[in-house]
Amino acid sequence: MATTTATFTLSSADILTDALSLSTTMNLYQDGTTATGLDEVTLSRHNIPTGTNFDLIPESAALSEDASYVYICNKSTDVTYYVIISINDEPIGRLYAGDWLFMPWDCDLTAAANDSSIECQAYTGENIIEYALFHNGETLLTAADS
Amino acid sequence: MATTTATITLASADIMDNSISISNTSTLTTAGTDTGLAKTTGVARRTFASNSNTILLDHGLTSGIAEDVTADKSAKVYIKNTNDRGDGTKYVNILLVAREIGRLYGGDWMFIPWSGGSGKDIEFTASDTTETTLEYAVFYE
Repeated sequence: MATTTATFTLSSADILTDALSLSTTMNLYQDGTTATGLDEVTLSRHNIPTGTNFDLIPESAALSEDASYVYICNKSTDVTYYVIISINDEPIGRLYAGDWLFMPWDCDLTAAANDSSIECQAYTGENIIEYALFHNGETLLTAADS
Repeated sequence: MATTTATITLASADIMDNSISISNTSTLTTAGTDTGLAKTTGVARRTFASNSNTILLDHGLTSGIAEDVTADKSAKVYIKNTNDRGDGTKYVNILLVAREIGRLYGGDWMFIPWSGGSGKDIEFTASDTTETTLEYAVFYE
């Protein structure tokens, strides 16, 4: 098992009358365990052209009903560039240049009519997207020509 | 305008042969601009003991954030399950319009953009009736 931590810090000196400061850290553990860390990771970077909604992280039976965590960051620099991140054909929200998200992900392979792949569509121009998927238990496909 | 920053650090010394450390800071801005988000719900806390599907962020309300969180605007949502992890079998499913996003186990947090819009509620369903506390906040324009 591996030890992976995700730390979140949010701060603002002026969105409220008093300063706002929030910080929390979590360990990325496997489902149904007290303290067994996830031991697989996928790191990736893509240039996403406009005009098509892509499967950024395809659903997989190996990722179903387990603890997985997704980090996505829009590394574009033009503030008007953004991507829409969707799941089950439902937009979660827009990641503008410099924005990131971190969320759990549970492949729901029973989702009617849609799928639980994490989708990404770019707007304004080609967006640069980096993502990390922390997961467990994925079995690679047997090569078709073996 | 306000200046609000959100920083994530993902770190592991042993999930790969070389250690990984991913860190990014985002300044929360209005859609397509450098102008900071100026509105927030503040950090809220809700405790429940039910495994029924429940609306956490209700976009059907006629006041509050409903009219300000729309697909062409910028909004960010933070949610944390503040319970202890326990045996790792208890969690809260976070859903968007009844479509599952993922599970927050005790101690887990998430930070996502939110398109909002009519009926685009953020909901949760606990794995059982154990008393659970969620903290959450919305930042929006």
